[in-house]
Amino acid sequence: MWSYVLRKILAAIPVYLGIILLVMLALRVNDPIAAYLGKNATPESIGQYRSQWGLDRPVLPVWATPPEGPVEPWLTLPVPGVEGGLSVFPPWRTQYVSFVWSLARLDLNNSWEQKRPVAQMLRSSVGPSLAVTLPALALTTSIAVTVGLLSAYFRGRLTDRVLMFASVLGMSVSVLVFIILGQYFGAYWPRQALGLNVFAIEGYDATARNWAYYCLLPVLISLAVSLGYDARFYRAVMVEEGNRDYITTARAKGASKPKIMFVHMLKNAMIPIITHVMITLPFIITGSILLEQYFNIPGMGRTLITAIASKDFPVIQSFTAVFALVFIASNILTDVLYALVDPRVRLS
Amino acid sequence: MGLSSIVGGLGWAMGRLSRGVRVSAGALAVVAGLWLAPAGAALGAGQAGQQSAAKVLRLPIRTDGPKSLDPAEGSTLYENLACAQIMEPLLTFSYASPGTLEPLLLTKLPESADGGKTWQFELKEGVRFHDHEVFPGGKGRAVTPRDVFYTLRRLADPRYRYKNYWLIDGVIEGMNQYRDAQARLVAEGKPFDYDAPIEGFEEIDERRFRIVLTKPVYKFLYTLAQFQTSIVPREAVERYGDRFSFNPVGTGPFVLESWTPKQSLSLTKNPSYHPVAYPAREAWGRDDRRRRLDRPAGQMVPFVDRVEFTMYAQEQPMWLQFQAGKLGYTEVPGSFYEQAFDKRTRQLKPETVGRGITDHREVLLDFIFQGINMEDPVIGGYTPERRALRQALQLAVDFNELNEANYNGINIIYDGPIPFGLDGFPPEGRAPKSYRGPDLPGAQQKLAEAGWPGGRNARNEQLTIRYFTNVSQENQQLAELLKRQYQAVGVNFEPVFVDFSTLIENINNKKAQMFGFAWGSDYPDAENNLALFYGPNQSPGSNHYNYKNPAYDELYERILVMPPSPERTKLYEQMRDTLIEDVPYVGSMGRTRFYLIAPWLLNCRPTERTFSWIKYLDVDPSKQ
Repeated sequence: MWSYVLRKILAAIPVYLGIILLVMLALRVNDPIAAYLGKNATPESIGQYRSQWGLDRPVLPVWATPPEGPVEPWLTLPVPGVEGGLSVFPPWRTQYVSFVWSLARLDLNNSWEQKRPVAQMLRSSVGPSLAVTLPALALTTSIAVTVGLLSAYFRGRLTDRVLMFASVLGMSVSVLVFIILGQYFGAYWPRQALGLNVFAIEGYDATARNWAYYCLLPVLISLAVSLGYDARFYRAVMVEEGNRDYITTARAKGASKPKIMFVHMLKNAMIPIITHVMITLPFIITGSILLEQYFNIPGMGRTLITAIASKDFPVIQSFTAVFALVFIASNILTDVLYALVDPRVRLS
Repeated sequence: MGLSSIVGGLGWAMGRLSRGVRVSAGALAVVAGLWLAPAGAALGAGQAGQQSAAKVLRLPIRTDGPKSLDPAEGSTLYENLACAQIMEPLLTFSYASPGTLEPLLLTKLPESADGGKTWQFELKEGVRFHDHEVFPGGKGRAVTPRDVFYTLRRLADPRYRYKNYWLIDGVIEGMNQYRDAQARLVAEGKPFDYDAPIEGFEEIDERRFRIVLTKPVYKFLYTLAQFQTSIVPREAVERYGDRFSFNPVGTGPFVLESWTPKQSLSLTKNPSYHPVAYPAREAWGRDDRRRRLDRPAGQMVPFVDRVEFTMYAQEQPMWLQFQAGKLGYTEVPGSFYEQAFDKRTRQLKPETVGRGITDHREVLLDFIFQGINMEDPVIGGYTPERRALRQALQLAVDFNELNEANYNGINIIYDGPIPFGLDGFPPEGRAPKSYRGPDLPGAQQKLAEAGWPGGRNARNEQLTIRYFTNVSQENQQLAELLKRQYQAVGVNFEPVFVDFSTLIENINNKKAQMFGFAWGSDYPDAENNLALFYGPNQSPGSNHYNYKNPAYDELYERILVMPPSPERTKLYEQMRDTLIEDVPYVGSMGRTRFYLIAPWLLNCRPTERTFSWIKYLDVDPSKQ
């Protein structure tokens, strides 16, 4: 099993390095310094900041004549047949290698806007995002799978219809409506009308003592937003699984309906469940921008949106690279979980 | 109607549900409440404990708040609000009379013996920086003229991207030469020299100094009231470098305790704050005295021990927190206006008054308009026909309808570019002669005079105007309304919705025939608005209209060096009327900011001209 995991990780490394390169190139299509400094920046100040922030260095190793000005970092290598040799920019000082190395050490540059290390911003915003998204994912998945099973169990009957009607209703309502009404009727109204200080209107504190007060309402809103989609998806999975031959065999052998549903069917439906959860997993890191804005939660989504709005290049580049890493890690985790649930995957 | 308004409506309806329904709904909440009661109760107890120990003032900051607490890097309202509590400029605007300059770190307003070219200053005794580890023994030292010069020099440092250099560009003798010389040094990789002499700076002694200007410019005094010129100690800036923004040191009434960007900002009272008294009783107007704003006259400030700001990226949580009694005041966002005010009478609703909440209306120094590119081959130019054409465009617009439809009818409509409250603003907003619409017959007559009868020229081509505006729901509504109003006189109005940077680009490149824009005055002097039409400021400068009138430019150069006086006001009016006649824009309107003030917040009369007034606020813990 471990060799399987190792193989997956090793295979993902070049993919990740390629993604980083693509991200870096894509973010440099338009000059990030000029965008950040704005329309009144002079070419001199743009050049000065480019040099100060290391963006005057080549992205990748290049063989060329060194640019005008200080030539200190460039190395001249003797090449037979080439007079004066060939100049090369030291590969370890290129933007690409520097960035990959800083990512590996999690020692990222400073934010241009906030003048503090991006790694520190990452660390301080991951927690708040997870404090909401992780419980929300756990709750949503467990409830949605249960609803899916129940719907499939009572397929075509009143329970199924009611559950699916509620799911479609939930899917039809905008996230913003859930948030605005949830905040009003979940936090404000009970306090004003009934004197019950159940949830905070806004704010963040994830200590054990205050988590429920500050974070449970956003979790419940997140649950309400996702439950409809997920329940319908899991119902479809369960219904499809219910038509398989092994279910017919189990029924023929006299197994009880609950045993068929919760033992045989659920176990075999794990692959699509894992796939669905794993697809969602990276988004628990990115957080919900709207929830974070309305509830004043200093999470990743809000940090990234602010960075984009202020053209804070180091934050955008680092966050994008970290999100890519989380995506790749969740893919590896998915494969590993497949292998655990279904040994045939590992063998193939 | 926004979603928030719907919520407001629902909230209103909930308040009026029959008792039975409320009890049933309440039962559900009780179940949830019992489950979560320990957490909520524990928190509530903690907060109550804090309140009894000290006077805490909780206030909102709309949006994500300040990006920097370094005045040299600041520019927004929110940076002003945050910085003004920690650092102070030499001058400020009076709390009792926000249009008036008054000394803050000086003994008196600076004086000039040569008509405004040389200004002499005297620092107040006892003005010290915050106690801080950067000073020997941790005790804040006295502010000296060298700190003032250092602060102004920082604006010329390329490290701060010259973000606020515009404030002193070409104003101080020798400053531009200093900036250029230092830029060359920095480009050569040498350090910025803060000790290099500047011709216009002269230190007399430890408290007195002179600043010599390139020419008499009265607005220089306003510059010294801007938060970007707040005095900072060199030791702290050099110690923290780029991190000074997170470790700001100044002379302000409060000291930074913590700042979580986009989240919160906590300040504690500066125990060694220099003596500043609450404005005297006679400084307040009758209405202010009726509201008991003069109650603590003469007492030393600040009154509160802590100020806690919370940033709100969205309006609803700020509004709900205020309604729950957690915030001292709040702006009234447009979508919540009708929850607090009766739209017809524009007065606070009785239920709001019944809760002890009061309101304050702050007329902003706003100039909202639809600009016209005076170089446009169709509607630009200075011939009588072109002037008549633009006058027709102005006469065709129903400003009252625009105001009702887009701004709940709360904007001030006025003639000319000078906002309410400044010298040169016409009485009741009406200039002696103007082309304010709606006057459709007048517009049609002017169109005919311009050679476009019924909106068509001799070749039977319809007059088409391309109007560039920033993409937003409000601008969409505004543009649709203008389109309908112009159609009534046969003019085809074509809105072009673009993002803000594209809008700026089109204006700067003189490609926008007509454009939606607004200007908020940098300081309370009409000169700031009249500069928008000064020829040399043409695009990409602030004269986006590319208006060029030699007579107007000459008047502008005259007022620039004049102190406030009836003669200067007369010139302002003359310039205003010239613009009204030439119509380089269609307008004008100014916004009113509505504030609600909690019953426990005392001495509060918000203004956006300065934010040094937070120190005058007090809280009544018995009402909190």
